[in-house]
Amino acid sequence: MRLEPRSGERIDRSKPVSFSFAGWKVAGFEGDTLGSAAFAAGKRVFSRSFKYHRPRGLLCCSGHCPNCLMTVDGVPNVRVCTEPIREGAVVEGQNVRWSLDFDFMSVTDKVGGPFTPVGFYYRTFIRPRRLWPFYEKFLRSAAGLGELDEHAGYSRRYDTEHRKARVLVVGGGPAGRAAALAAAASGDGVVLVDEDASLNGMQLDGVEVLAPARALGIWEGGLVPVDAGTVLYRFRAARIIVATGAIEQPLVFPGNDLIGVMLPGGVRRLVNDFSIKPGNRAIVVAADDEGFEVADDLSEAGVAVPRVIDLRETRPRELVAQGGKGRVRRLVVDGESFDCDLLVASGGRQPAYSLLAQAGARIEFDSELGVFVPTELPSGVEAVGSVTGDGLGKVDPEPAYGGKGKCFVCVCEDVTTKDMKRAIAEGFDSIELAKRYTTTTMGPCQGKLCHLPSIRLYSKETRVYEAAIGTTTARPPWAPVELGLLAGRELTPARRTSMHWSHAEAGATIQWAGPWKRPYAYGEKPEDEVRAVHESLGVIDVSTLGKLFVEGPEAVALLERLYPNRFGDMKSGRIRYGVLTSDAGRIMDDGTIARLADDLYYVTTTSTGADAVTAWFEWWNAVWGYEAEIVNVTGAIAAVNLAGPQSRDALQRLTEADVSAEAFKYLDAQEIDVAGVPTLALRIGFVGELGYELHFPSPAGEYLWGQLVAEGARPFGLEPQRILRLEKGHVIVGQDTDSESNLYSAGMSWLPKLDKDDFVGKYALEHFAEREEKERLVGFTMEEDVLPAEGAQIVVEGFPAGRVTSARRSEAVGSVIGLAWVPTDRAKNGTRVEIRVDRLLRGARVTHGAFFDSAGQRMRS
Amino acid sequence: MKDIFFPKRMWRPRPELKRSYEVVIVGGGSHGLATAYYLAKRHGIRDVCILEKSYIGSGASGRNTTIIRSNYRTPEGAAFYGESVRLYEKLSSELNFNLMFSQHGHLTLAHSDRAMITMQERAEVNKLLGINSSVIGVDRISELCPPLDLTDRPAYPIMGALYHPPGGIIRHDAVVWGFARAADWFGVEIHPNTEVTGFERSGDRVTAVETTRGRVECGQVVSATAGWSSLVGGLAGVRLPITTHILQAFVTEPVKPFLDVVIVSSQLHVYVSQTDRGEFLIGAEIEPYTTYKSTGTLSFLEVSAAHAIDLFPQLERTRVLRTWTGLCDLSPDYSPILGKTEIDNFHVSTGWGTYGFKAAPIVGVTLAELVATGKTPDLIAPFALDRFHTDTLVSELAAAAVSH
Repeated sequence: MRLEPRSGERIDRSKPVSFSFAGWKVAGFEGDTLGSAAFAAGKRVFSRSFKYHRPRGLLCCSGHCPNCLMTVDGVPNVRVCTEPIREGAVVEGQNVRWSLDFDFMSVTDKVGGPFTPVGFYYRTFIRPRRLWPFYEKFLRSAAGLGELDEHAGYSRRYDTEHRKARVLVVGGGPAGRAAALAAAASGDGVVLVDEDASLNGMQLDGVEVLAPARALGIWEGGLVPVDAGTVLYRFRAARIIVATGAIEQPLVFPGNDLIGVMLPGGVRRLVNDFSIKPGNRAIVVAADDEGFEVADDLSEAGVAVPRVIDLRETRPRELVAQGGKGRVRRLVVDGESFDCDLLVASGGRQPAYSLLAQAGARIEFDSELGVFVPTELPSGVEAVGSVTGDGLGKVDPEPAYGGKGKCFVCVCEDVTTKDMKRAIAEGFDSIELAKRYTTTTMGPCQGKLCHLPSIRLYSKETRVYEAAIGTTTARPPWAPVELGLLAGRELTPARRTSMHWSHAEAGATIQWAGPWKRPYAYGEKPEDEVRAVHESLGVIDVSTLGKLFVEGPEAVALLERLYPNRFGDMKSGRIRYGVLTSDAGRIMDDGTIARLADDLYYVTTTSTGADAVTAWFEWWNAVWGYEAEIVNVTGAIAAVNLAGPQSRDALQRLTEADVSAEAFKYLDAQEIDVAGVPTLALRIGFVGELGYELHFPSPAGEYLWGQLVAEGARPFGLEPQRILRLEKGHVIVGQDTDSESNLYSAGMSWLPKLDKDDFVGKYALEHFAEREEKERLVGFTMEEDVLPAEGAQIVVEGFPAGRVTSARRSEAVGSVIGLAWVPTDRAKNGTRVEIRVDRLLRGARVTHGAFFDSAGQRMRS
Repeated sequence: MKDIFFPKRMWRPRPELKRSYEVVIVGGGSHGLATAYYLAKRHGIRDVCILEKSYIGSGASGRNTTIIRSNYRTPEGAAFYGESVRLYEKLSSELNFNLMFSQHGHLTLAHSDRAMITMQERAEVNKLLGINSSVIGVDRISELCPPLDLTDRPAYPIMGALYHPPGGIIRHDAVVWGFARAADWFGVEIHPNTEVTGFERSGDRVTAVETTRGRVECGQVVSATAGWSSLVGGLAGVRLPITTHILQAFVTEPVKPFLDVVIVSSQLHVYVSQTDRGEFLIGAEIEPYTTYKSTGTLSFLEVSAAHAIDLFPQLERTRVLRTWTGLCDLSPDYSPILGKTEIDNFHVSTGWGTYGFKAAPIVGVTLAELVATGKTPDLIAPFALDRFHTDTLVSELAAAAVSH
């Protein structure tokens, strides 16, 4: 029921808003929350409790407790007490069978008690084992709160914004405002954030106020993420002032979860902010001064307050709330009964220290105040106001009052005092164990309303002082935050090369290759493209290769120390194959290194390795401090491989430079113009035929591709390339090698130059050079025409002894060929091994060297 | 069942430390407790104490993401974890404590050709060793896990998966408590809040253990201290090739269960399951830097949230409830270091990285056998500390050192 208009109310009575609440049409005003409007309309049941399905109503009205978790417009677990009202919203109860007012599952409250004590699920449904899945199905159907819409997703746009502030004040209460104003007096750059929407638009001189905006924590390096609904501000501030205040704590007594039992702050919000008369007859029970101020508000609102009980003066033994249909009707204090329909109960206030604890402050029990307070704040972080304990009086209520009925320590998880006592009796006699066993503090409020009561009770039961028990670790975030907000906007675009649309037009089958979209093949038959490369001319887009310039007087020193092979003796205009090894001597990545000038190298990496190799280079260069610059030009430079016996003639037709066999030798690098495009041409042969890798500015991609195709080059895709390179026995790092592969076991013992000065992995390679490897990477030829899966096992006496890493049918070779890791004693040329293909063992012969053109005459021609 | 109605103590209150024990186990997590349990049960060795610096299960045992599986890549690993799953399946009944092992299946997603090869390889190894594991396509994935986004909208669309039906999740605390209760029943002493501060050595043997509550003499010592294992090893003079990293995870507010299987994506470095309480439990890859400081990072939350939504867009408005971190002891080859050290009577269980919890029962069985008989069981021989001297590593890392 609404009161007459009052000064300071947040509602705008000229703007009515209506929505549906559990099937009822409810009207409120702009400025209301969904919860306050429903309450004003007489709605009292907002949820059903987690375990016993007891009816629950508003308790804190500040977004902390679980009592008002409802499904709003299909989004589960929305705290309607703080969710702004909006026209046409559909608010529904959750985790109920039938309705909020009549929930079949509440039978557990009536009869389930003796059968479902704390941890009952550990003691039951054990035998017979085969029935567990059925029991579990039942347990799971009872679990959870709101229901997720399986088809939800991508409903809103989230953003992340990086912000800097000189001073960031968290909390807009009196202490926070004062601190912000004081900071603003000495300069700008002061920001105040508060989770309460009513602070939106608050004017503070020289202070930027953000509300509703909730600081979620103080993370690494003083990073404070602030949840502003669909924007996540990532604040960095020189000074962080925490003024998060204190949180009212419930009293623990039988019936303390009945509807109508509320915290003073919640009641005051209903009265003062929303002008609602919260009841007709109220009893106030409180343990500190703050708790009593509500009595005046209630009187002013016309609520009779026949009794106020100050727990500092009277120390009742029994305190029981009784009622009917889940609603409070009377309070019984040591046998004396007081009728009421509103019971305002508070066990004092606990500083909201979570942010400080996460930032590294120590939390200790202040026995003067009877609450936990933060101490030893980390540098750059300050605390003001009641979060420090300032202004809080001593509170010392009974940890739990006696009497008949369920007495809740933790309303989120329906943990009763009986449960806590039982857990302790069973031996869960550390607060952390008791927490995990009873699940107290592990619900949606994350201990905001149950941590202190749990510790008070635990202290009483175990006769250990609170100070000795300490707190359980505070787990960020401060309040639940949407995954979507943390994720921010999707920023992982698919990567396409500058020739991509030419491939698409040519009818290529496009596949994902890491972040790239690449042509798998251009027609139905990849082998046709293979044949074209062998017999005439093919061209493949290899723009995805990682490409780095390494430049500077000490570029050569840097490369010499990064790679196991040598580069200092390389002449300008020459190319060398290089393999990067880790500290442990394992193969990391491979590519070609072309020396373009004395102090300039052009390095290629695998397509997937570009970023990692750049990071690796930069990391080591920072450590060693060489005068060398590393520039990743992967996106700026496109590349194609023009390959096939006719590639020289085709290239010659497009350039004025002399690319004859004498002028442009195998492993030469030359800067030439191709069809007018400045190009770095590398004569290398990954696919085993005479060929040129042409690197040129990306914008010329489609043009040059078109020129090459016009010269008769047949486009070929990844699949034909895989066949071609396999025919040559060329290894793909990361497919044919893994994290344990080294140059010796992978058959590249010729590559490392152990007489070089120190380089990454040298120590390990020296060791490998002397020992016998357990397994080796070899080629194999299948005896029959069966294609083993990549990943198929080499089987020795029924046991997996090796694995196939690549396998393809090769027309040029005339059989199925592949690469495999085999035990060293089976690695000799011609050895027969058995490979498991579709449950059968098939024979194969180990084949050393290239399968096709083993002398390499074609690519050197 | 009857202790539903008559509460019984799970274990005795912490006793005084005796002067000496036949076996001292350092670390009251799942590995230490399992070892104690099997020592008492299978070998009749009951003069055992467990020294735990905090409360039982306070380390990795209580911080992992509770996934159990055996579809490992190496034959050594697959055989070992296969045995572990078999033990886990019987464990609720054996310990008379419901560990809530739900074997609804485990899917490791592949988002690239390369990953498909790795999945195929794992499936082939698993099949040869009798482990139920196979590569499945997108159609089958959508039957097993309808809510998963199988379209090509995400940056890394799903191409297939390794399906492992016996995989699942378990209640991790229950494993700790179940082993603790059973070990206690056999007479094993559990000493929480008792930190090891040093070891007394005589030649190649440890003769006594110094603790914050005094000194105890010991016949043999087992160190099962996960993230702190190199420190405890150091106290005994044993150098371990271990780096310690943090691993982070979070849970969301509970929602009605709609995901039964466990979903893992190594490409996205994320794994997602839904607990019997309805919370989504989401974890990531370990952080690359070494630290003992168990504070989490925001970037972890942001990246994991993005990847979780890539897989399950429905989770967009589900809220993160709490995050936590645990310490991981990482070995160079991602395989554990289990068994003997250069000190005759000092044995270790370490190097687990992110796999330790899955192995608890089999670690208990094999270490108990080693302690009781002095012989290393065949199943754990490949995981000897000595392999780093001989460089006969057991690589569980499928991709090369640069991530592909």
